[in-house]
Amino acid sequence: MLRSLNYSPNRFLRSSWRARMIFLVILALTISGLRTAMTQTVVKPEAARPKRILMLFSESKDVPGNIALEQAVRSEMRKLSPNRLEFFSEHLDASHFSDQAHYQFFKDYLGKKYAGQNLDLIMAFPSRDYTLAGALPDALFPDVPVVFIAVNELEVPYNISKLGVTGIVQRFDIRGTLGLMLHLQPDTHRVVVIGGTTEVDRATLGRIHEEASALEGVEFDFWTNRPVAEMPAAVGALPPGTVVLLSTVLRDVTGQTYFMSQLAQMLAPPAHVPVFVMGGWVLGSGAVGGSVVDSEDLGARGGQLAWRVLGGIKPENLPIEMATKGTPMVDWQALKRWHISERRLPADCIVRFRPVTMWEEHRKIILSSLAVFLAQAVTIAGLLAQRKHRRRAEAEISRQRTELAHVSRVSTMGQLASALAHELSQPLGAILRNTEAAELFLKNDTPDLAEIRAILADIRKDDQRAGTVIDRMRSLLKRRELESNPVDLGELIEETVAVAWSDAAARRVTLTMQVSANLPLVLGDRVHLQQVLLNLILNGMDAVADGGQAERMVVIQAAAGTGENVEVAVSDTGTGIPADKLKSLFEPFFTTKPNGLGMGLAISRTLVEAHGGKIWAENNADRGATFKFTLPAAPRES
Amino acid sequence: MIPSAITDTVFVVDDDASFLKSASRLLRAAGYTVKAFESASAFLGQLTTETSGCVVTDLQMSGCNGLELQAALARSDNPLPVVFLSAQGDIPTTVKAMRQGAEDFLTKLSPKEKLLEAVNRALARNALERTQREQLRDLRERFATLSPRELEVLSHVVRGKMNKEIAGELGINLRTVKLHRTNLTRRLQVHSVAELTRLVEAVGLFKAERTT
Repeated sequence: MLRSLNYSPNRFLRSSWRARMIFLVILALTISGLRTAMTQTVVKPEAARPKRILMLFSESKDVPGNIALEQAVRSEMRKLSPNRLEFFSEHLDASHFSDQAHYQFFKDYLGKKYAGQNLDLIMAFPSRDYTLAGALPDALFPDVPVVFIAVNELEVPYNISKLGVTGIVQRFDIRGTLGLMLHLQPDTHRVVVIGGTTEVDRATLGRIHEEASALEGVEFDFWTNRPVAEMPAAVGALPPGTVVLLSTVLRDVTGQTYFMSQLAQMLAPPAHVPVFVMGGWVLGSGAVGGSVVDSEDLGARGGQLAWRVLGGIKPENLPIEMATKGTPMVDWQALKRWHISERRLPADCIVRFRPVTMWEEHRKIILSSLAVFLAQAVTIAGLLAQRKHRRRAEAEISRQRTELAHVSRVSTMGQLASALAHELSQPLGAILRNTEAAELFLKNDTPDLAEIRAILADIRKDDQRAGTVIDRMRSLLKRRELESNPVDLGELIEETVAVAWSDAAARRVTLTMQVSANLPLVLGDRVHLQQVLLNLILNGMDAVADGGQAERMVVIQAAAGTGENVEVAVSDTGTGIPADKLKSLFEPFFTTKPNGLGMGLAISRTLVEAHGGKIWAENNADRGATFKFTLPAAPRES
Repeated sequence: MIPSAITDTVFVVDDDASFLKSASRLLRAAGYTVKAFESASAFLGQLTTETSGCVVTDLQMSGCNGLELQAALARSDNPLPVVFLSAQGDIPTTVKAMRQGAEDFLTKLSPKEKLLEAVNRALARNALERTQREQLRDLRERFATLSPRELEVLSHVVRGKMNKEIAGELGINLRTVKLHRTNLTRRLQVHSVAELTRLVEAVGLFKAERTT
């Protein structure tokens, strides 16, 4: 305890640092262990050795066109191959290192590096001279099949198939590009072609020249003798009606080498006129576009070809594909810059770098979401309409119920008016008598103050009693909505019997109450429930009073019913109800009384049902009828 | 105005305890001797022929109501006058009460003056009826001393028959008829046929015979 309290922060830090080191070491070990375990588990199930493909580029690895091409080839082959493929990439970088020593060094390097690798395929990407990248495999690995992809005008040795080589030569689509150019810029009268000085450059220029001579009304200007470094300013000064076509400048007059994308990045932004290109990978530099070589498409085709060779087809049996058809492709940003309407574009033209709108990117999601929203909205609207409809109907029913209850109460009140007047005149009469008595007492010379005090107390008591009667009467008369409160039915029955008492006495009917002890409370509206009780009691009294029976009795019983409810029964000793009338009894306007409205029982039923209860009538075994109703018991408070 | 019959009692009967108390209190303050009963049966149970006074009662009461109380009193030997103090009364009930001889029919909210007047009237009537009842009883006692033959003769006398006719009808001689008549007038303490006839009427003798 004491020692642990006595630690120094330094010591803690030191020990924590040490712990962290140990943790890191363990972590590293674990990870390396895991990695071995993972490679092992991945490799193991593969029965066949992965196919090994060497990708041989004559240029450096950061040439944009080659990067796109290599990616496309790899992904296409991976798509096709069920098994793992191993790719190796090597770059001769002939543009930067063009001397023979380098070439020899690279050749030796490759020979040594891949001697024991059992290559399955070599993919060559020769760019200037087929022999540079293309001859290497022949010399080094004569037994390995070769598939090449070339984008330029290079000379392919006519007997190359005999060497176990196949491939694709994708030539620039000069005609297509010029066509697109004139289509998009119809008022072009001058085309500035920027080209280089190498053989390949000149070959391309030659083809452009050939195409140009077929076009009438357009003047072609070949800028081949200017250093590229001067050109940004020159293209910036070109007048309208001119366009620029970038050919290849593998080397300019000053000996500088350029890739097509470099050139476009230098010239397109400052150019005062649209710049057209022939390589798809050049787009994004500011150039408008052209009928370009599409790296992805070319890579995919090359991948498919390579896959067939890997599958066992001898290259010499696969003819070399020579393609000159480009893919119309434009840069959306450049279209905007030159105010070229998208409507002018050919139908198959690919538009790159268009800011993807929410709509384009997520059209499906948006559409399906919209559909869902719409469906939801329709459903909700439907439900709302239904609810509104039901609400209105309910409100109407509720209003009618209130109205009917009121009518019924008022008519019941008519019957009970005398009873209530009696109730009220009792306390009022008592007050009057007491007051008169007090006046008399006060006339004495020595008034009996104790008596007068007693009188005043009695007056106060009777006054309150009168108030209660008035409240009860008012609540009976008021048109009101259903309230829901815990109601003690026993108490309510007592109160109701008190109201009916004088009426019963006048009609010589004995009212008896039998309320079982521990009667559960019910949830309901006191006034409405009293209304029901009164209706039933008055009905019972009518039944016994009319019949001239010797015994005139109405018995009100309340007991816990079966289940969570309370059952109230009002029995009379009358003549009973004809069996065929038992059901119609509760229909509105059904009455057996000459002055009856026929609403009492209908309203009683409405009110009982509004409380979630049931009401019915049955004939007694001996004589008379019993009206019963149930009400759900209020949930007991725990 | 307190009547002479101050010893008379006002019997207040009402099932409403509060009103019973206040009404009794008022009547007592007004100088009456008051006895309060919460039910008709309690009152009727202690009623004797000697009881003198009047009854003030509610019309509607649980158990025996006011009209029944009135009827029971009327049947008794001592039909005390009844003043009804009703909370409210419908016309049929009122008519019935009055026909049964109610002294008055007041509402509970009638002013004290009316109540006291009604009570005074009832007490006065009670005193009067009491006197009449005593006289009648006295008269009846006198008639009761008559022999059957004398009653027979009397019945003919009050119908205005001559002695000779009476003798003929009864099959007795004239002297005997005269003797009976002398005895009659002496026992009934009357001096003329007219007076005799009035008394017979008051006592209610020979009613059936007269109507036939």
